[in-house]
Amino acid sequence: MAAVQRQSVLGKDVGFERIRRITGYLVGTMDKWNDAKKAEERDRVKHM
Amino acid sequence: MIQSIVKRDGRVVLYDESKIARAVLKALEAAEEGDAAEAARVTNKASKQLELMFKDESPTIEQIQDVVERSLMETGHDEAAKKYILYRANRTRIREARTSLMKAIDEIVNVDARESNMKRDNANIDGNGSMGAMLQMGASTAKAYNSMYLLTPEQAEAYSQGDIHIHDFDFYALTETCCQIDLIKLFHGGFSTGHGFLREPQSIASYAALAAIAIQANQNDQHGGQGIPNFDYALAEGVAKSFARTYTRKLREALEDYFDTDDESELTEKAIAEAGKPGLGDVRETFDGIVADELAKSGRIDREKAGHLVSRSRQRAEKQVDRDTYQAMEGFIHNLNTMHSRAGAQTPFSSINYGTDTSPEGRMVMWNTMKALDAGLGHGETAIFPIHIFKVKEGVNYNPGDPNYDLFKYSMEVSARRLFPNYVFEDAPFNLQYYKPGHPETEVATMGCRTRVMGNVYDPEQEIAYGRGNLSFTSINLPRLAILAKGDEKAFYESLDKMMDLVARQLMDRYHIQAAKHVYNYPFLMGQGVWLDSDKLGPNDEVGEVLKHGSLSIGFIGLAETLVSLYGHHHGEGKEYWDKGYAIIKHMRDFADKRAAETHMNYGILATPAEGLSGRFTRMDQKRFGTIPGVTDREYYTNSFHIPVWYPIKAYDKIQLEAPFHALCNAGHITYVELDGDTANNTEAFESVIRCMHDAGVGYGSVNHPVDRDPVCGYVGVIGDVCPRCGRRNGEPISPEKLAELRKKYPSVPKFCGCQ
Repeated sequence: MAAVQRQSVLGKDVGFERIRRITGYLVGTMDKWNDAKKAEERDRVKHM
Repeated sequence: MIQSIVKRDGRVVLYDESKIARAVLKALEAAEEGDAAEAARVTNKASKQLELMFKDESPTIEQIQDVVERSLMETGHDEAAKKYILYRANRTRIREARTSLMKAIDEIVNVDARESNMKRDNANIDGNGSMGAMLQMGASTAKAYNSMYLLTPEQAEAYSQGDIHIHDFDFYALTETCCQIDLIKLFHGGFSTGHGFLREPQSIASYAALAAIAIQANQNDQHGGQGIPNFDYALAEGVAKSFARTYTRKLREALEDYFDTDDESELTEKAIAEAGKPGLGDVRETFDGIVADELAKSGRIDREKAGHLVSRSRQRAEKQVDRDTYQAMEGFIHNLNTMHSRAGAQTPFSSINYGTDTSPEGRMVMWNTMKALDAGLGHGETAIFPIHIFKVKEGVNYNPGDPNYDLFKYSMEVSARRLFPNYVFEDAPFNLQYYKPGHPETEVATMGCRTRVMGNVYDPEQEIAYGRGNLSFTSINLPRLAILAKGDEKAFYESLDKMMDLVARQLMDRYHIQAAKHVYNYPFLMGQGVWLDSDKLGPNDEVGEVLKHGSLSIGFIGLAETLVSLYGHHHGEGKEYWDKGYAIIKHMRDFADKRAAETHMNYGILATPAEGLSGRFTRMDQKRFGTIPGVTDREYYTNSFHIPVWYPIKAYDKIQLEAPFHALCNAGHITYVELDGDTANNTEAFESVIRCMHDAGVGYGSVNHPVDRDPVCGYVGVIGDVCPRCGRRNGEPISPEKLAELRKKYPSVPKFCGCQ
């Protein structure tokens, strides 16, 4: 009997990290952004 | 006959007329309108009125107080009535604050941060962890207290109504925002963080370790960020010390090998002493030649062999110190991303400025700092702290041929991958005016958020960055002023003037609270002499005088929405609207300059960073005014003077339109350009954006682009719905076998415990 269970899959429920700048500093995940800043980030367009 | 009354919490208690008499007497005495006999008369009248109104029923407290008010007025005691009314209103305010405080704490304790906007007020704090929750509870309580007792009714009204936002309001009674820490001064002679003395560091490793400690220690004394304005210069001293020791050690070891002995320190030190202190910038032939001559004089080794040994030792020392510096910078960055300060809830908000030290040691620091930044954290994650700011200066690093041009080029490569460094432009006229070559303290540095403290109205002899920071800042809801003005420009400016005056006085009030604190309230910031001139104070001295070196900032948000409200278009849509926008901010700057001259305090205009604020004003204005197209139809107001993030515009044009505002916002400003990943990694395109900023007179600029990472396979780059490396989607699992396959091709694929 194996003492350690082997994992059959990895990464379930693990999301991608999306580093974005918020008011000058980086935040690794947008989970922690408040609703207003999330809305603003969604609206951002690229500048050519 | 009234027998009982109903209290606010619903309890029914005996009616006690003497309570009314006491309240009336207090009001009369406060207004100097009567005495106990008069109080009895008024109470009698009120009682009769109550009997008439309620007969056998039980009045509520509110109903009784209404009658008392009327009785005071009807007996000609207008002043006393006023006092009574104010007292009543104040009690109501306090009661409501207590209720809303309890509600806030309830939300903190019970609601998942993902559902609670309040708990996500600061993206840097984990509102779900216990320390983060405790921090938020403390903050809520402090805010309630401060609102009740430290603001004037006018200020409390403006704040709660959303006319203004007082930043870091929870810390109102306690401290100031931030400080630019001069590490060189701090390290000389060593320092203390309150638990034991730290000797002056003697190696690059200790310099880096102590730099992290200094940031953390100072973060415990202030509510804002911590900046190091002279990172390259300061850590260069560590490199110099490390090199001197390493050179000596390498030579000693080489001699011990050559002679096959145990200890050649005497010979080594004597030989080196003849030449001086070994440095990276030595003229090798000269310095090493003298050392070799001395070794040969001992008679134990011939001159040629000695020369060879010395030269090899120098090479090895250079390599070793370079490696040591890299490790030190790597450790520094890791530290600043993992240590928790502030009640264990968040890492310190740290910034480091570098770019202008042209010494070999300073350059070694910068190369390795940027290399470590590029490498990322343990699994290649982008380091969030510290914020890196590269100081661009013509003649030093901006043009080919400049001594640090190579570092400038490399910084842009790294920035394209890691979003840092940001760029401060020393040649912008409003920065250049302070610059004195050879005096790094006159180089404008910035807190990563954008705070800028350089000019000094209080002490024009000390217009420097070192040891200074912001005292506090309060932002004005510009769009609301516009909405209320209903297109009347004159009315808008009048209301703006009133609001700026209110804010200026509130900033001064807050300064007076801060000023009454003592050095012992800031064990590190003042106790260790970090704040400018605090080393001249004793532990029990008040700090008011030296605090005057700090800045008082009037901030704002939503210039774009303000212009739409007043004129129908924002400043990206035409020169005439841009001119109107410029006029508004210029008007604000003129006001700040005038108030600064009058008070000899460092008032300035701030392009507020605005995190939680970006939604707060908008939500309140939507509630009050409804959805106004182009003004309140989004969930946020545009940051400061920025062209709206959703407005299609070329990078070049955005920079041209925003740059002139940098000159006006002397307390802090920034311009962002958003690029897609491909453009960002095109070094020519990236450099052209930075050069465009420089040429336009931007003071502080930054390039944004998406940096995504898959924690499972380690891929760093742009990820849409599917990871380009391993093919999984967000939240999808993958087999360990597939990962192992990928790891053959991409060694950076992480390993996980429990698998293979």
